[in-house]
Amino acid sequence: MSALTEIILSEQEAVRDSPIDGVCQQASVETLLAECEALHSFQESDSNLYRRVRALVFLAAIHRYHLPEKLPDGASAAIPYEGHTHLLHRRYEEAIASFLNAQRMLGPAESISSALAAAYRGLAFQTLAEQVRHSVRSIRGNQWMFRSAHVDDYPLRLHPALLTKQDGLFPVLAESTPVRMDLSHSGWSDIFFLGMDYPEGARVLNVSVDLTVRDGASAAPRPPVEAYLRVIDEPVLRLVSVDLKSQVDVSTLDECFDFARDYLGLLKAAVIASGLVPAGMEGSGQSLQKLLTALTGSRGMGIEIVSKVNDIPKGSRLAVSTNLLACLITACMRATGQICVLDGPLEESDRRLVAARAILGEWLGGSGGGWQDSGGVWPGIKLIQGVAAVLGDVEYGVSRGCLLPSHTILERDRISDDARRKLENSLVLVHGGMAQDVGPILEMVTEKYLLRSMPEWQGRQRAHDLFDQIVEAMRAGDTQRIGACTQENFDGPIQTIIPWAANQYTETLIHEVRNAFGAAFHGFWMLGGMSGGGMGFIFDPSEKSRALSTLPGLMQQIKKRMEHAVPFAMDPVVYDFAINDRGTSAMLLRGSGALLPAAYYTLVAPPLLRQEVRGLTPARRAELVHMGVACQQRQDFTGMVPALIEHLLPHDDESARDVRGNLDDLLRRHGFDSVQHEAVRADLRAGRVGLMKNTLHASTRVENVGREEIVDSCVPLGARYAALGRDALAADALAVVSLSGGVGSRWTHGAGVVKAINPFCKLAGAYRSFLEVHLAKSRRACGLYRSRIPHVFTTSYLTHQPIAEHLAAHANHGYDAPICLSAGRTIGLRLVPMVRDLRFLWEQTPQQLLDERKQKVRESMRSGLLQWATQMGEGSDYRDNSPMQCLHPVGHWYEIPNMLLNGTLTQLIAVQPGLKHLLLHNIDTLGADVDPALFGLHLESGAMLTSEVVSRSLEDRGGGLARVDGRLRLIEGLALPDESLELSLSYYNSGTMWISIEKLLDFFGLHRQSLIDPVQVLTAVRRAASRMPTYITLKDVKKRWGKGHEDVLPVAQFEKLWGDMTALQEVETQYVLVPRRRGQQLKDVAQLDPWMRDGSAAHVAALCDWNGG
Amino acid sequence: MRIKKAVITAAGERQRRLPLQELVDRDGKARTVLAILVNDAVRAEIEEICIVVRPGDESDYLEAVPEQRSILRFVEQPEPLGYGDAIWRARNFVGGDAFLHLVSDHLFVGCESAGDTATALLRLATAEECCVSAVRPTHESLLRAFGAVSGQPVSGYPGVYRVQSVLEKPTPTLAEQKLVIPSLRAGHYLAFFGMHLLTPLVMEILDELLRSGATSPQGAASAHGSRVTLSDALAVLARREKYLALEVHAERFDLGSTYGLLTSQLALALSGQDRAEILSLMVQLLANEQLRPLETKPQ
Repeated sequence: MSALTEIILSEQEAVRDSPIDGVCQQASVETLLAECEALHSFQESDSNLYRRVRALVFLAAIHRYHLPEKLPDGASAAIPYEGHTHLLHRRYEEAIASFLNAQRMLGPAESISSALAAAYRGLAFQTLAEQVRHSVRSIRGNQWMFRSAHVDDYPLRLHPALLTKQDGLFPVLAESTPVRMDLSHSGWSDIFFLGMDYPEGARVLNVSVDLTVRDGASAAPRPPVEAYLRVIDEPVLRLVSVDLKSQVDVSTLDECFDFARDYLGLLKAAVIASGLVPAGMEGSGQSLQKLLTALTGSRGMGIEIVSKVNDIPKGSRLAVSTNLLACLITACMRATGQICVLDGPLEESDRRLVAARAILGEWLGGSGGGWQDSGGVWPGIKLIQGVAAVLGDVEYGVSRGCLLPSHTILERDRISDDARRKLENSLVLVHGGMAQDVGPILEMVTEKYLLRSMPEWQGRQRAHDLFDQIVEAMRAGDTQRIGACTQENFDGPIQTIIPWAANQYTETLIHEVRNAFGAAFHGFWMLGGMSGGGMGFIFDPSEKSRALSTLPGLMQQIKKRMEHAVPFAMDPVVYDFAINDRGTSAMLLRGSGALLPAAYYTLVAPPLLRQEVRGLTPARRAELVHMGVACQQRQDFTGMVPALIEHLLPHDDESARDVRGNLDDLLRRHGFDSVQHEAVRADLRAGRVGLMKNTLHASTRVENVGREEIVDSCVPLGARYAALGRDALAADALAVVSLSGGVGSRWTHGAGVVKAINPFCKLAGAYRSFLEVHLAKSRRACGLYRSRIPHVFTTSYLTHQPIAEHLAAHANHGYDAPICLSAGRTIGLRLVPMVRDLRFLWEQTPQQLLDERKQKVRESMRSGLLQWATQMGEGSDYRDNSPMQCLHPVGHWYEIPNMLLNGTLTQLIAVQPGLKHLLLHNIDTLGADVDPALFGLHLESGAMLTSEVVSRSLEDRGGGLARVDGRLRLIEGLALPDESLELSLSYYNSGTMWISIEKLLDFFGLHRQSLIDPVQVLTAVRRAASRMPTYITLKDVKKRWGKGHEDVLPVAQFEKLWGDMTALQEVETQYVLVPRRRGQQLKDVAQLDPWMRDGSAAHVAALCDWNGG
Repeated sequence: MRIKKAVITAAGERQRRLPLQELVDRDGKARTVLAILVNDAVRAEIEEICIVVRPGDESDYLEAVPEQRSILRFVEQPEPLGYGDAIWRARNFVGGDAFLHLVSDHLFVGCESAGDTATALLRLATAEECCVSAVRPTHESLLRAFGAVSGQPVSGYPGVYRVQSVLEKPTPTLAEQKLVIPSLRAGHYLAFFGMHLLTPLVMEILDELLRSGATSPQGAASAHGSRVTLSDALAVLARREKYLALEVHAERFDLGSTYGLLTSQLALALSGQDRAEILSLMVQLLANEQLRPLETKPQ
């Protein structure tokens, strides 16, 4: 038996929990391949789900981390397109078969291993997700909803109490639910996959809390989420979200299942998960009106469901959305008799049912956190633990644990009133303002758990100890001890398992709080999946009020310092909170009291008041009459009348006018070329440019390039090149140019953060930005080669000022040689995309298919975006966002000409007359350093450009090195006439280039002396620009609104790209293959963890000299 | 155990007039629903029948059963206090005897007649000396109209279950958690057929429940509010003594539902001597162009 299958199958816990690294690090390539074969057969044949999944994760890890390390650098083999297509369509078994076949034919290669790693990983997570889905559907009480596909079989009826009008109004069922905070965290042990495999390790201490945001008004904390349900005399399902200011009358079942069509997806998920509209009705073609008739017992009647979140911003890490979902589900289940009590709190059996339905709702809506998230349904403080599956459970024989955990409410005899009060008096809850996607972290945690890597596994065990200590400290009411434990948990296990749970913002905040409060600050407490959003700080009770008044200013200050570097969604806030001892609870409002919250009427009443009275239904008429009375008599309706008048007669919005003014001003200041813009816009509208037109002609011959056609630097290049390079460096002949104009669209999903100064990772004990890493490498090179290497950062309208401020604040990170900022001289205004381009992108180009539910949500969202583009006007200027988000840099081709236009090159030559070459690289190519051998190679070739390429791995998308109609050149992915060609290209453009200044000036028709003549330079640049192709691209841009909410919208922009220079006959280019660690680019935050684990981070750190920083 | 008594409840607000409706029975003879039910009970060798009625209804009911007046006794339910209370009103009539209980708003038709079903219940109850309820596999969408049971099959007695719990009008959510019986099709549960063979203990339990002012934990979400139901008593009974359910194959028709009377009449007629005539009548109706809804008439 293979060593690794033995680990999986071992009866001994110690062996079963041993990491694979021990076996893999010692093994030869042949042994690893044999292990892979054994694991592959094992995962195909074993009956136990988790053993199979573990084998798959082992396989993914071997192909991602261990095998490539042992293969020669640069070994390349084409990834089969067929396999890649299977991968995109989530047909993982077929993809694996295809990649394995390629491996058999061509031998092991880094590229094939990268594809196999992705496919095995995908299959592992698909298997786990399917198991959770199966369990959710199989829970008793959930199954019937998937069978109910016909209205005649519809079994639910509304509670009679809801059907009887009083004073002209139908009663309102009002549910309110606290949110949950997690005292212990326990290493994300509430992830379903973990709880189902390791129930004994899945434990959290979870507290239900009421909240209010501290904003000067002294409102007492109250349940943060509310749901309302009532009968209406219209045959529709009316869904209203008061806080999102959105309402819709759903009149067909299809609309009900269309989650992303509007902002009411959560309400729709609740309607379905509660069984009000059973899941089996999806696509059944049945009539919603008939269903409502059956439900209410009368024709022409419907249901209205209203949700309200009491000012708690998104990303609070308090599971607001899951508890809102649970709140809505509870109301719907009470109304339909699935929960026996119509009002008051719930029984334990009902709470479990609601939790199961909330999991179902999250799955339907394509989201999902952990099993503790619906903790707000339960009252007070409770211990939530994984449960081992036993005979009779649907999970028995499949997984070790059940899907649903057990909840033990810790009553007063275990945690006294005094201890509760102490917790309330010590803890300050905040929202730090950052909003991040926790999804990738949850996958990382699962993967690391299955791999049992030593530090992470030990971290998990330590987290268990801390959990016990927190429970004990909680029992004893020792908040100082709780603070010490939560701080240790954050510093130790949490960051050992997932370093990315921390960030510079949080650590700075903790540091400054400690400075301000000294020993009175007992500890930091991370809430939920990662820090930066919802967080807790534990203080000595005597200092809590000072902390409450200090923290908002402190957080705001730090945010201000970092807001260009770190993605913030909102201004930080501090909450007041109180432990909630009821859990979810409902009231039945009757008679004149049966009104919805005042904010509902502010949203809904204005259009009703504009209508003729005879157009209103009797219930609506009665409601408006009662509302009028409430405005005079009820405290909570105070201020309604002015708000209604404001809605009925809105005055001109000054802020919108400001935005328009700012944008025009920005365009003027940054050299916006309106003539060029109008030409591009006209071309786009007329279809002369667009995604389809980016490609070269279909008859273009695109061929792969053999290794013999390029220089291979993965084998030692020879001492003479290094000597040549060193000499030139000693003569100060080189400057480094880091492209820093971009806003990291993929890095922060369009949040508009300056990527260059994003403190992305801890290296050598401190958070480092991309910019600092590049300077540290150049510093090391300066020292090693006794050179003075000027460093240029090319900037854009968005990045210039923040980078300048960052450098000033950090004293250039102590870099001795000159640092120049080359300011962008061109700017574009984004455009609303053309529907045909959106369709082309989503329907014609290969796209990663998502999990079934998530795909449905994505498709629904895309149809909404198509509508949005049509409504906004295809091809019109995109101005409906903050001004900075409406602009775009016009592609990195302009970055080098900008250095000519803005005088940076002249300035450099003036201070460093020996300067002859530039090393150009992307801001995220962290391994690119001043390598004397490569520099020597470039010098000896005499070429204008020496372009560094890497062997393609699966994630390298966007073209590569090709022979195009006979000429060796870099080709952009956008320009490839057939997408299947991309994977056949063995080498990928790392974006790093060595540039001869003299030859570059020749190309532009310039020389050193003419650089001082701006007219001549401008003419030269325009002439060159006209020869470069223009690409239309679609980028995601975030539009922020409300309290931390974000919409992601696709917008069109145009770009010219530097790689296309190699297509020009007179541009002589040499291509050199470099090791992956040198050419690797970090485009996506999800790449960080593997980058850290595969040794790339250590490699980069070894290239740096931090001493000056 | 000697069973000679039956109790028929007819005091419900919804069911008061239903037993007085006249139908043509399977022999082609016009009879009231009550007469048909009484006849079925008599075929099961019942000798004395108590009908629980609303005050003032007795004379109408007597008239509805001209042939068997002598075996009928009447008990009034002064106020509409629910199904449990209605049965409890017959406690003096029942005395210490076991009795057959039928509901008056359902008609039982099928290959085995209602009399056969009652006889089967009587035989089983006599042999096992316990309560027996007739049950029928029922789709979850119809559970809102019935009480339903969970139970274990009794080996050696096909179609007989030892009842473990009883729920009144459960939602499918509750049914799926509490009432699943592995041998039934998915989404089907054993729901009451409307015919029970009850021991005197049921009366004792009803007495306890009603006198203690208990409310129905199961009825709170239903139209009956929190009034005690027979299911509440049977749920207690199942915990105290042996209680069996017998799966029957006849059909039951709810006379109070929309088209309930019509469907019951058709079912009766199709199971009797006039089957061919009724079928031909139905075919004529189907073929009649004039009876099509306007919007589906051919152009």
